Amino acid sequence: MARAKKSNREATLDNLRNEALKIRRNIWRALKAAGSGHMGGSLSAAEFLAALYFHHLKVRPAEPDWPDRDRFILSKGHANAALGAVLAQAGFIEDAVLDQFYAYESLFGMHPDIKMAGVEMSTGGLGHGLSIGLGMALGARLQKKKFRTIVMIGDGELQEGSNWEAAMAAAHQKVSNLTAILDYNKVQQSGHVSQMLTLEPVASKWSAFGWAVREVDGHDMDQVVTALDELPYEKDKPSMIIAHTIKGKGVSFAEDTHLWHNNMVPDDIYQKALAELGEPV
Amino acid sequence: MSAVRKTPDWVAKVQNQSRLSFGFAVTDMAARDDKVVAVSADTLDLIGLREMVKAVPERVIEAGIAEQNAMGVASGLATTGMRPYLCGYAPFITARSMEQLRNDVAYAKQRVVIGAACSGITLGVSGGTHHAVEDLALMRSLPNMTVMVPADALEAWHLTQATESLDGPSYVRLGGRVEEVPVTAPDAAPVIGKATTLRRGTDIAVIACGVLVAEALKAADELAGEGIGVRVINMHTIKPLDRETVLAAAAETRGIVTAEEHHLTGGLGGAVAELVAEEHPVRMRFVGMPDEFCIVGPTPKVRERYGMTAGNIMAKCRELMG
Repeated sequence: MARAKKSNREATLDNLRNEALKIRRNIWRALKAAGSGHMGGSLSAAEFLAALYFHHLKVRPAEPDWPDRDRFILSKGHANAALGAVLAQAGFIEDAVLDQFYAYESLFGMHPDIKMAGVEMSTGGLGHGLSIGLGMALGARLQKKKFRTIVMIGDGELQEGSNWEAAMAAAHQKVSNLTAILDYNKVQQSGHVSQMLTLEPVASKWSAFGWAVREVDGHDMDQVVTALDELPYEKDKPSMIIAHTIKGKGVSFAEDTHLWHNNMVPDDIYQKALAELGEPV
Repeated sequence: MSAVRKTPDWVAKVQNQSRLSFGFAVTDMAARDDKVVAVSADTLDLIGLREMVKAVPERVIEAGIAEQNAMGVASGLATTGMRPYLCGYAPFITARSMEQLRNDVAYAKQRVVIGAACSGITLGVSGGTHHAVEDLALMRSLPNMTVMVPADALEAWHLTQATESLDGPSYVRLGGRVEEVPVTAPDAAPVIGKATTLRRGTDIAVIACGVLVAEALKAADELAGEGIGVRVINMHTIKPLDRETVLAAAAETRGIVTAEEHHLTGGLGGAVAELVAEEHPVRMRFVGMPDEFCIVGPTPKVRERYGMTAGNIMAKCRELMG
């Protein structure tokens, strides 16, 4: 039986979905090695990280300090298991590093460390990444370089006021080479964001601050890729992608609950999670 | 042909104010290095950046009254190979943006130079919200950080220029909108991390920084009349501390008096005491701000109230002679 050949785009999307699945499996692998970790906010970011590192960003894993590379900052640094996973899959770091999560003298700790290949900035204190990204975007403009800067922010993180200083400043500076991705998984450490300190109406806030805003389903790879392909959205404006996601995505017991923000990962939990995720192609 | 050396043009321009020295020095560096960029937290006049705005407007980034963002922006610029000079008010650019300073600049080891104007109690009448008498303690506790306190505007110019050679972050403590007494020469070439000895007495050593260096010199000159030989050391770099000069003072005099416009906790006095306690214990006395919030008042009167004066330095020296 002749099967219709998949379009290039479909093949690209399938490949990215597969990388996202590998990221999720690697997140659990790292957490299992560490004994615990931030699963919820790592799992929600998998599609965007896959699309960034295997489709969008101009980077050279063998030459991580290539001056003209695109920059990515994981401002929600507690999702470092996801960043480590994608950096290993892309070849920035050895695969074995994933088993060194939280290990003594490891560069792969709970939060990103600029000393590790592929990590653009040490993060972890919330509300820092966007300002740093703005500095990188201005550095590109001053040096007439083409590289772009993308910063992933968490929703709980947006409660930090420094983000809004950065939002104002980026719009004022008209840096269209700067993009923020809000991983809007709706849940923070102690509960739902809407109950703790709501961000709503978040899209109109960013528009009012002078950003070009798009909202996407952050787990729909088609929408994720389109959102990245069409950057920047408006001349002379920074771009904000609001990615509606699910905390703990892919593992039923961890989804949409603060109880799996940061938790212990004994072997039975690990096995249960991997069984739900299934095997990559 | 005259043998008299011509005073450089910048000397008149800085008007004996270290805050202006910083801005003019950055402007001067920007003319020869296209990586030099100023980030300002609403300090274009305070830190003397107007000329730089005229010369290279794209390289003066006005961040507004938003120090946290300004600090992060400076760090991000540094990662791309730019040389950011971050200009702010000392009380705000340290305490307000301390987490960005610690994480994005010191922890990430980025080459950001912070110019902190209106340090100490130079804004005396503004009250405690505008005093910066804990900034040295904060900066000194950060790994990777170089901490400088120029004694006058001339030294501020040279130390700012000298930051070109630094690999990591640094902090330059600057004065306010008042003239500082010149105690160094325009052609002096201070070396970061190397103290300068201004009087060579061997009875007591006064180790001072910033505006207290001038007071220490006054004290030394008066005490000379009483037959007490005071060594005056201008410790313009608090970190890394010039161990050799401090330990020589400990070994060669009867005791050390430190003098700074800063809390007695964690500043120059603390740094010196930590070193000599371990390496060469000597009697010490400390001149600076006691453990309380400072009253409001004109800076000279406030300095006097808390004993940050030549008179008090003399009293401390006499105590150590006894």
